[in-house]
Parts: sequence; C-alpha cells; structure tokens
Amino acid sequence: MTTKDWRRYFGLREAGVYYALLLLMAIIGLVTASSSGANYFSAANLTNILYQASLVGMMGVAMTVILITGNFDLSVASVAALSGAVLISLAGALGFWPAAAVAMLIAIGVGLLNGAIVQLLGINAFIVTLGTLTAIRGLVLIVTNSRSLMIEDPAVKAQMVAFEGGRAPIQAALFVIGGLLVAGAAYARFRQKKDKTATPWGAAIGGVALIGLGLLGGPSLSVAKPVVYTAVYTLVVWFVLGFTTIGRRVYAVGGNSEAARLSGVNVGLYKMAAFVLCSGTAGFAGILFASRLGAINPTALQGAELTVIAAAILGGTSLFGGAGSVVKTLVGALLLFALANGFNILDLGANYQGLIEGTVVVAAAAIYTVGGARRRRA
Amino acid sequence: MDAPLLQLRKVEKTFPNGTVALRGVDFDAYAGRVHGLLGANGAGKSTLINILSGAAPASRGTIVWRGREVAFKTPAEANAAGIATIHQHIPLAPTLSVLENIFLGRSGMWRHNPGERIRFEALCRDVGYAIDPDVLVADLPIGKRQMVAIMQALGGGADLIVMDEPTASLANEEREIVYQAVRRLAAQGKGIVFVSHFLDEVVALTDQVTVLRDGREAMRAKTKDVDERAIAEAIVGKAVATLDHLREDRAVVTGPELLIVRNLASGDKLRPVSLQVRRGEIVGLAGLLGAGRSELLLAVFGADRHATGEVMLDGEPLPRSTAGAVRADVALVPEDRKTQGLIPGFEIWRNITLPHLDDTAFGRLLTRRETEWARGAAAIEKLRIKAPSPETVVDELSGGNAQKVTVAKWLFGAVKLLLLDEPTAGIDVGAKADILALTRRLAESGVGVIIVSSEFEELLAVCDRILVMRDGAIVAERAASATSEHELVLLAGGRGARGERAAHPIH
Repeated sequence: MTTKDWRRYFGLREAGVYYALLLLMAIIGLVTASSSGANYFSAANLTNILYQASLVGMMGVAMTVILITGNFDLSVASVAALSGAVLISLAGALGFWPAAAVAMLIAIGVGLLNGAIVQLLGINAFIVTLGTLTAIRGLVLIVTNSRSLMIEDPAVKAQMVAFEGGRAPIQAALFVIGGLLVAGAAYARFRQKKDKTATPWGAAIGGVALIGLGLLGGPSLSVAKPVVYTAVYTLVVWFVLGFTTIGRRVYAVGGNSEAARLSGVNVGLYKMAAFVLCSGTAGFAGILFASRLGAINPTALQGAELTVIAAAILGGTSLFGGAGSVVKTLVGALLLFALANGFNILDLGANYQGLIEGTVVVAAAAIYTVGGARRRRA
Repeated sequence: MDAPLLQLRKVEKTFPNGTVALRGVDFDAYAGRVHGLLGANGAGKSTLINILSGAAPASRGTIVWRGREVAFKTPAEANAAGIATIHQHIPLAPTLSVLENIFLGRSGMWRHNPGERIRFEALCRDVGYAIDPDVLVADLPIGKRQMVAIMQALGGGADLIVMDEPTASLANEEREIVYQAVRRLAAQGKGIVFVSHFLDEVVALTDQVTVLRDGREAMRAKTKDVDERAIAEAIVGKAVATLDHLREDRAVVTGPELLIVRNLASGDKLRPVSLQVRRGEIVGLAGLLGAGRSELLLAVFGADRHATGEVMLDGEPLPRSTAGAVRADVALVPEDRKTQGLIPGFEIWRNITLPHLDDTAFGRLLTRRETEWARGAAAIEKLRIKAPSPETVVDELSGGNAQKVTVAKWLFGAVKLLLLDEPTAGIDVGAKADILALTRRLAESGVGVIIVSSEFEELLAVCDRILVMRDGAIVAERAASATSEHELVLLAGGRGARGERAAHPIH
C-alpha cells in the first residue's frame, strides 16, 4: 500500500467525518466527565443518540441518493409530516397498517409529482421542491385543520408502540454484520491480484468496530427499533450503490447525465426513481415519527429538511451530483445529533447550538472543497 | 534581426503526481510572425501553453518576455503583460452577448458603455469578420464561438496571441476565416503561436515550426525549409504511415441492408432524410458545421425525442430511446467527448463498461470488478491508450486518449451499427490512424458504420460511400472511389450542389 493509497483512504477528505465524530465525542466525554461526572459514554446515552439520529439518518440516506443523481429534494420534512398526519387521521377508522399504507402511497405520489415536474418540464429541482415544501406543509395544515391530532383507539396505539417502540437486542447482529464486513474485506484482499482492487480498509475497520461494540456492550446491548430500520435500510442502499449495476448507473447519471444517456442508460427513470425513493423514505420516517408520539403536530419536523441536507453535506456528498456515500451521511447525522446531545448533557442551553452546528457544516464543506483532489466516488 | 518577444529557455514541468510533461524546451516567438507548435497527444503542447498563459508555473527554466525575466502566476498577469491565450475549450459565458463576452475582462463599473461598440467595429475590421454583437453566445454554433474567443483575446490588446487548436472543431470555410484573421494580425505586427494538428495549415500559415515529442523539442525550423512529411516524421518519431494505406481497392459492399432510414426529420435542423447502410459498409457524412450531420446521428440513435420518421435495423423498427438503441446493438461515439462521452471522476474501466454493463455482471446485477478491469486493460492495449492503468481517472487523460476511451466503450459488446461523430477531431496523426484502422476492421467483420467527419480526406480513406449534407438534408451521394476531396468541398459548400440541381433540371 503506497502513501497515496493511505492518503486516499485516511485523508481528511475521505475520512474527515469519522475523525470529526470521534473528536467531538471525545471532547464532550472529557468535559462531561470532568464537570458533572456524568458518563457520556454510557450505553444508554449512546444508544439514545442513535435513536435521536435515526429518522434524519434514514432521510439523509435517501437524500444522498438523490444528490448523487444530480437532483435535490427540499420537500422531505413536509412529506414526512404529511405522511404522519395522514396516518394519525386515518388510523382510527382504518386501523394502523391500512392507514400506514395510504400514508406511504401519498408520499410516493409526491415523489412521482416532484420527479415528473423536474424531468418532464425541465424545471430545476431546487425550485420545484421548494414549492412542494411549502404546498405540502399547507396540505398538512388542511389535513390536521391546524390542530394537533391524537390517536384515541388503544388498540391502534398498541400497534404503533409495537412498530416503533421497544428495543431490539443487537449483539448478535453486530457480530454478524461486523463479521461479514471483515470477511468481505479479507476476501477482497485475497482476490486483490485478480480484481486489481485496493483493500477495502474502510469495511475492515468498520467491521472490527462493530464487533468491538458488540463485545463492549455485552448481550444486554439493545437499540430502539427505528435505529434497526435505519441500519438495515442504510446497509441495503450501501450495497446497491456499491456493488450493483444499478448503483454504478446512479453515479454515472449524476456524473454526466448526457454521457450516461448516450451510453444507453435510462436517465429519466433513474432520476425519477431517486425522487420516489426520497419521498417514500420521508413517508416512512413520518410514520415512525407519528407512531413515536401517537400524535402529530401541524408544525412537526418543520425545518428538518435542512438537518437532513446538512448530514449529507457533512458526509461529503457533492451538491453537483456524481459523488456521495450513504455511510458517511449517516455518520454526518450522528455528528449533528451527538452535538445536540452534548449540549443537553452539558446544559449549555440551545442558544449556542445553532451557531456551533452551522460552523461545523461550513467547516466540513471547506475541508471537502479545499482538501485535496476531487474524487467522485463512494 | 530584432529581439524576440518571448524566449523560453530549458523550461521543464513535472506534475505533483510525478508525470513529467516538459523536459527542457526552448522556444522563441517574434513579433509579426506565426509560430506553428505541433506534437502528438501528450507531447507537452498543452502544458507549454499553460505555462505561456500563466495558468501553470514552470518547474524549472526561464521565461523572458520583452527582454525581462518573468514568472506569471495567474492568467491575468500574463494577459496584462500582453499575452492572450485562446484555449481549445472555449471559455465563454453562454448567457452573455457577443459584445459582453468580448469585453468581459475590461475594467469599469458599467455593464454597457458606448465606446465598446466603436471598439467592437474596429476589432471586426482588424480580424476581417462580421458578427452580430447582440446575439447570445449560447445561440451561436461552435465555429462562431471560436471567432468570438479570438476577438475576446484581441479585445485586450495583446501582442502575443497563443491559439490552441483554433481550427480543430471548425469546418473548412470557417477555418479560412481564422486563417485570414491570423494573417492580418501577423501583418499588424502581433506575434502568434499557432497550435494545430493539421499539417497542411501549419505549412501554409506559419513562418516557423516547432515540434514537441515526449516533452522535448523534436524539430525547430523555418517553415519554408520543411514539408508536411518532415513535420509528420518529427511528430511521430519515425516514418509515418499516412492514411493512404487504408485506401486500397475495395469491392463494392453487397451485404444485406442493415439500416434503413426513411424520412427521418427533426425541427428545422434535420429535414426529411432517407438512407441505407449495408452490413460491412462504411458510409461517410460530409458537410459543413451545422449541416445536420450530428443531428442525423442522434436521431438514428433515438437520442432526439422530437424526431419523426422511420428507422429500421435488420427489418425491425429501432426503439426511440438510447437505451433501446443500445439494446438493439447500436453504438454512438458522440461529437463532444467531454460533455457527451465520458463520466468525469470515473476510471477508464468504469467508463468503458458503462454501455454494456449488464454483460459484465453476475445475473446482470452484481458488478464484477475483475471482468470490468480486464476490459479496461484490454482497451488500453487494443487502442494504445496512453495511461498507466485502467485505474486512471478519465479527467487526467489527454484529448486523444480520452477520445480513444469513448470509442473503446463500444468494443466489448455486440455492435451491429456504429455511429461515429467526428471520432478523430483534435487528436494526433497516430491516434487518428489507429481509430480509422479499427473502424475498417469492424466493418470487415460485418458492422455497418456511419461516420461524420469534417476532414474529407479521412472520409475518402475509410468510407465505401459518402453522403453530403447541407442545411439538414442530403444533397449528394458518391462512391468514395469516384469522388475527390475537391468535389466534396464543393458539394458541401453549395457550389457543387447547385451544379447538381442544374444537371437534373426541374422541368
């Protein structure tokens, strides 16, 4: 392995978001330990950060995909709120699962609408989704009649709790996924001569880290269900982007859509699918959000789209398409929520939080822009 | 003899990644003379130009400008000193008018000022070219953009003008305009560095010629002392094989009809066009820029949504989408490799496997690196692409090698019909011959080919049949063996076409 490879894998530009997360957690951990004696690194607190970051992380993964295709979706938070509002208002009459299905269909419908306007009329995605962001939020107000809605039926409430609440033990899953990653990396190294591939150190280190977490956490380690959903979803999208022809074409479409089109890629379909994925994911996140509270507020998740986009940018996703990694977006989301959590624990008050978060996002963007060569790959 | 405007002494350039582009080059430019600068792709021409224009510093060596040693740090510095560079990829602002583009670099606060128009007219007279100053650059064809770029460079009042392949994308009559402008400027006492791949224009236009090879000077001579063959030998480094060897006696192609196009039309760019291509036949499309050649290829390929008419391949209607065309084994090498041909940031292997990606994958879904990488390596070997490995990102390739990648994309899957749009534009003699010979081999294996080229000599060498297009329609058809470059120029330019109409009177 040459110095160049090391720089490529472990340079600030490639791995900066991981360093930032570790550094931030170390600082917050030290400060809390010395000031209040509270244990920032307790399993309860860390899994709580995961829980808080799960919905934004999930939407961030989908946002990364649409950014890779060279588009943009500002409407995700509104769509999530609409999906939640539809679920809450229909669940009493239809039952949980049918209402959730309707909410998903509506969310997917918004994705089709966004995509159709962008692709068929050729209007910039930023403008179109800025419009749907506002319009869908208006629709939420209409559906909820500007009031908070609540679930009354205890049976439905129980289904929601079963779907969203509760915790899942994860030690076994950590061992399996970590083991698979390490085995995959070892296999790639074994095949290095034939495949001409560089050793996937990232996967190896990630796998070891997961196994380590499993050992440290012990058999009682558990996380909330939305964390599991987000983890599974991220794994699937990561795999599709990295190892399938579909993923290759997603990057090609974003890298140069005209060249992709003239190579026989159905560019319109891919771009449309990214809109549907983005809205569909937002719809699912909205269902989880509404189920968490058993209620929906008409201003729920307002502004969350910016957090979602910030997570993607922290993860190094290019706003011009062709580059991005869902795993790093997830780490970006964790970074933002670890910061918020730290502010809570240290009791610094929310006043400084926005300032610090904004600074972190701009600093990250500066590192990606200034730091080193432009490499557009996962 | 007067002192040179610009002197380069032992200029070297090493890039951070270790690539050595220049290994000690001397170069002099005098006022009132045209200096030809030639070399194969990757010989160091672009690097030398970047150093001249201040876009990149030299690693070693001295640059003397008007008797004083200089080291330009930015293009603006070089510009202020009096060196204007016209780059190959024309950096104009498409949303501004011709006038605004030409005076883009000028200082002053107001967007418009009345003196501009007077200066613009003077500039038009200097160059000997008239253009509407209020048209948006986005609406101009590429040939006119080139003239706008030249006028922009002159708008700043430069003494030395560096032109990087100013005629590469131009048709013959547009080239003539550039030549006239160059001659006028030299007569006015400006120094000109003229970079080109076209030997004939270098011989006809320049006073001095410098040839670079592998970052060194391979020839420096007065143009009147050398001929095209000598220059070509200096470029390639050995006796060159010209295109003539491709032009052997070929039997008339009698294979079955592969492609039948009936009344294919699109807007006013492409009037109803009909043509046929047989298996194993190479059909050339000659014509000037804007004659509708590229539009015809895109329409056949299904890339033009507004096209109407009938396209049949092997008796089946060809689907009206690029995905459908690729599935039906049609391939297109587009005109502009940068915006239409390559995915930036993708390695050579990723670019090459994109059209037939499914064939390389397990169950059409799981990508197989080994297979893809092997295709990349095979492409590098087959087309002699100058790159260290398939892992090289295409952004780092020189023009000719990038072009070879856009061709190589189609060599690893089934192709029945190959559409080539200016496949040799802006690439050196050796690469050109490689691509044309490859085209010939593909045809011999039964592939039907339509090739668009502004270099009629090339069409004559490689084609079986040549169709001449003008104003979006096919105006003439000739067997390649029964026509000449001269006739094609006349047909494409309109005079010959008028003769044709006279030969077949309407009444």
